[in-house]
Amino acid sequence: MIKKVKGLDPEFKEYASKVESEINRGISTICILSIINGSPENGIHGYQISKDLEEQTNYMLIIEEGTLYPLLRKLEEDGLIKSYREEGGRRRKYYSLTTYGKKVFNYLSGFYSKLIEAIGPLFDVNVNLNQDRYLFCPMCANKIKLTNTELKFCDACGYNLENDLSTRGLKNE
Amino acid sequence: MNEIRNVNVQNMIKSYLKDVKKALPDWLKEKKEHKEILTDLEEHIWQKASELSGNNEPTEESVKLAIEQMGKPETIAKEYKRRGEPKVYITKEMWPVYIKVLCIVFAVIFGLQILGLIISALTELVNFWDMIGGLIAGIQNGLLFSFTIVTIIFVVLSMEGYFPEDFQSKKDQKKQRELIELAAEEGLPISRTGKLMKPFIKPIGEIIGGGIAIIFGLIFLIQPFPAVIFFPEFLLLLRGFGLIWLIEGCLNISRGIIGNHHPEKHQVIHGFLILVKLSAVPLLIILMNQPEIFPIYSEMWVPVGIPVELYDTYRGIVAVVIVIVCLTTLEDFYRIFKLQKYKY
Repeated sequence: MIKKVKGLDPEFKEYASKVESEINRGISTICILSIINGSPENGIHGYQISKDLEEQTNYMLIIEEGTLYPLLRKLEEDGLIKSYREEGGRRRKYYSLTTYGKKVFNYLSGFYSKLIEAIGPLFDVNVNLNQDRYLFCPMCANKIKLTNTELKFCDACGYNLENDLSTRGLKNE
Repeated sequence: MNEIRNVNVQNMIKSYLKDVKKALPDWLKEKKEHKEILTDLEEHIWQKASELSGNNEPTEESVKLAIEQMGKPETIAKEYKRRGEPKVYITKEMWPVYIKVLCIVFAVIFGLQILGLIISALTELVNFWDMIGGLIAGIQNGLLFSFTIVTIIFVVLSMEGYFPEDFQSKKDQKKQRELIELAAEEGLPISRTGKLMKPFIKPIGEIIGGGIAIIFGLIFLIQPFPAVIFFPEFLLLLRGFGLIWLIEGCLNISRGIIGNHHPEKHQVIHGFLILVKLSAVPLLIILMNQPEIFPIYSEMWVPVGIPVELYDTYRGIVAVVIVIVCLTTLEDFYRIFKLQKYKY
């Protein structure tokens, strides 16, 4: 964001821009995973990811578009996403989450949600988590969808969720 | 006019992609994959430029803007180089190769110095202590110099994002891929990222070891030797140990049969092995407290037990055996822990 502003003190601009990039690095990985997670079953191509990232973050989280591809390659190398190239046509590469990627994303998503809820007051921001649809594991903050009818244990850390579910009247037998 | 504009637009994109290719790390340039990377970037630029020009034919301005938004070629290349887990300036992935190279270089330097020493001892009249001094100085300087050079090389390689597999020839890479495919067909351990994992057991070794344990276990259980040469209490304890060995042998054979599959089953078996091994401890304590039943012979095959003056030594030895038995369970705990990474 600060990079676009002209006429600033260069020292301040450089420092702020550096910290901004550091913050954005981790966040953009979670956001990219979230966009891929929400994509259709046949996956999503790189250009659409970058477009969604801009639009869904209200043009606040802007990465240099070329750096998206090394990031996607790394996620694929780490086994979080898989890809295929479309036959014929524009031969675009489509990305989707692997089972392992979904597990990692659920955890990171939960952790990140709880983190912004916790640090919100430091910036005088009120964050309300969507607790009606999700349960955040009390042990590891993994984000668990309450639509799962066989829910008993956290699939990230194995924590027994029955007590937490029963206090919310959602005990699964 | 339109054609000239199109040529200009294409040249702009080509020039940008050329700069990206130039900036990419060498390990990536050597792979076919880099062509796909450039294709993806090109596709992205065209799409972005079309969109910026209102979904019409990309203009020079829209292409220029699209390229600007892609980022500098060096920034893109830097992201590709951001590879591996840092470990003291050398990535975790390169660390084993670094240690191996250091060991080889050190061994060569050491060998050359010794060879030099032998040759000078045979050909020159040099004082013995001077030779030793020269040898130590030579080894010291050689090690220091090679350590510096090798470390610098590996730090640079880590900064460039190299992985050990990037040094494999195409032939070796193909062989590796075939091995992975074969391993996948046979259900052998493959990491989440599709790499061949080190097998966690040697099935033949487990089966042979288990077989030997079963044989000894059966001998102790059946006791096909004259009972009179042992005290009855000792024979009873021997049966206990035989049963333990028999169970341990069966568990090891079952691990061998399961092979490098089902890590969770191996973990359960290791859990049982810990219990079986620890069940020998009460028997050893009984043996420790009854030195008089241990088969020591006064004359031809007449057991008399341990002499009273050696009781303390005997108890000390059995206590050491108990400690060793307990320590062997640590291996099982370690394997249970290690097998966790094979489960995903």
